[in-house]
Amino acid sequence: MEKFVKEIIWGKKEMNKFYIITRYSFRRSVWAIIGWGIPLMLLGIITIPFYDLVAENERQLRPVLENLKPLVKSFIGGDEAEQIFTPEGFISLRYFAFLPVILGIYGSVSGSGLLAADEERGILDFVLAHPVSRGQLFWGRVISFTASLSCIIGLGWLGLWIGVAKAGSMNFPPFQLLLPYLSVFAVTWFFACFSLALSMCVPSRSSAAMISGILVLAGYIITTLSKAIKGLENWAVFSPLTYYQSNAMMGFEIVPFIKLFLVTLVLLFLARTGFGLRDIRVAGDGGWKLPFIRG
Amino acid sequence: MNDKESDPAIHVNNLSKSYGSFLALKGIDLIVNRGEVFGFLGPNGAGKTTAIRCMLDLIRPDAGTVSVLGKDPQSDPVAVREYCGYLPGELRLDENISVNSVLEFLRELRGGGENCHIRAKELADRLDLNVKSKIKNLSKGNKQKVGIIAAFMHCPDLLLLDEPTSGLDPLIQQTVLEMVKESRRSGATVFFSSHVLAEVQAVADRVAIIREGQIVEVGETSSLLSGRAWKMKVMFAENTVMRTEEIEALSGILLDEVSSDGRELKLIVDGEMDELIKVLAGYHVESIETGRPDLEEVFLSYYGKVRERDHLGKKGNE
Repeated sequence: MEKFVKEIIWGKKEMNKFYIITRYSFRRSVWAIIGWGIPLMLLGIITIPFYDLVAENERQLRPVLENLKPLVKSFIGGDEAEQIFTPEGFISLRYFAFLPVILGIYGSVSGSGLLAADEERGILDFVLAHPVSRGQLFWGRVISFTASLSCIIGLGWLGLWIGVAKAGSMNFPPFQLLLPYLSVFAVTWFFACFSLALSMCVPSRSSAAMISGILVLAGYIITTLSKAIKGLENWAVFSPLTYYQSNAMMGFEIVPFIKLFLVTLVLLFLARTGFGLRDIRVAGDGGWKLPFIRG
Repeated sequence: MNDKESDPAIHVNNLSKSYGSFLALKGIDLIVNRGEVFGFLGPNGAGKTTAIRCMLDLIRPDAGTVSVLGKDPQSDPVAVREYCGYLPGELRLDENISVNSVLEFLRELRGGGENCHIRAKELADRLDLNVKSKIKNLSKGNKQKVGIIAAFMHCPDLLLLDEPTSGLDPLIQQTVLEMVKESRRSGATVFFSSHVLAEVQAVADRVAIIREGQIVEVGETSSLLSGRAWKMKVMFAENTVMRTEEIEALSGILLDEVSSDGRELKLIVDGEMDELIKVLAGYHVESIETGRPDLEEVFLSYYGKVRERDHLGKKGNE
């Protein structure tokens, strides 16, 4: 009980250490912000103005779209594919549909490395030998990641805004453009916390990133195909991407957002508990030996 | 530290730790008194680092208890680390930032004020380290210096140094040993793990030898050495087979080595010196050298090397 109280109630000194960890970790992630944020921004600037071309050619494109087989159609939005001719639909299908996969991979890699990367490099051992608790380190890193993700998403949003401004036939207020990003944030945060929790129990950071990456891709395929294949609907419930709202510009739903958020909080709690209980490694020790791979 | 000043600096009781099926520590007991330099000797893999990491709650023991400066590292790790300076055996640092940034970050974590900052600067000058360099551009020895500064800069009550001179040049090694002595003079306790025996012998008040996860000897460095057999080197004017047989017949005298010309004998005298002198008096002796074994020989004796050497020596004589 005393430990629990210590975990959630911090004095000025503890808050200061938490702030130092957060600030230091955020500073280290500047290149990740630039590396992921700038391409995301460019994606918006380059992709969105193409809507003018799509709108101009609607008469030629619509019959092609209508004649597509359901399975093929499922990969470009399923029953919603024809919304590509509306500005909101275009942004949803040509921009936001792919973002959770791109940022899901980012979340998987970053989340698994949040603590395990430094642990495997032997850095965590030295930092934790200083008067900082595992809780302060854990939450400092998590908040720093959340801030980095917010910056990446902020840059993406800026690119989308510029792209919309460049497209002659689009006119959206900045806030409306932000709504799907809330969902992108929730999904990315989910994958990051999932891989973080995994990295606390699997033997290496890379295996945590790999499992989480597989979940991103498998989730994307299952959620997408479930629009065409009836039997997959039951499985799609377990895919985090089912709760993603690429079309949030047409109306943001709070329930799926909260569901994703709550599951993420559970994962965070599990990761924190795992980090508190385990030994700090000084190298990438541990591993699963597959019987057919020796050496 | 104010509380429980009478407690030992480190009290380890029946500490066990395993990694999978490998038993790294097999119920070790250890008491390190406040204000002493305590040498912790053992080869690689003996359990030295595991013991230190348990003291800082970086790893959790399977059984037993640890108390550091009167506190339990498992229940209050931050309080323990507050008063400790730690240098890991294999120091790894964030490569992309400067020495200054690393030290500033660690100083801030400690809540160290201006004094800590000044001392870090002084130590960097003393160890001849450029604090503006990026970590990735530093040699192994210079990285080690960063760790040493981080361990010493806040003048901790307890220093846990795991192989502190590893990778350093001989001059800087001497400086670090001086720093250890200065820390002791200022009242700090130093727990000094090493397999470089000469440096432990130079600074440690007491020594523990750990072998395969078990403490095999604890004692004052001086008594550990004085309790040992004498080494003796005798040079004769001529070779006589008779003489060797006579010496070997004495109890407590071990013939360690015989030179190829048979004139020089190296002996280990663990019995009556008087008997040996009387035997030697019957021959023409050119010179006699005697001395206590150094810590290295004491250490090696726990690893069966002396026995192995004796065995090989005897074989050679045959």
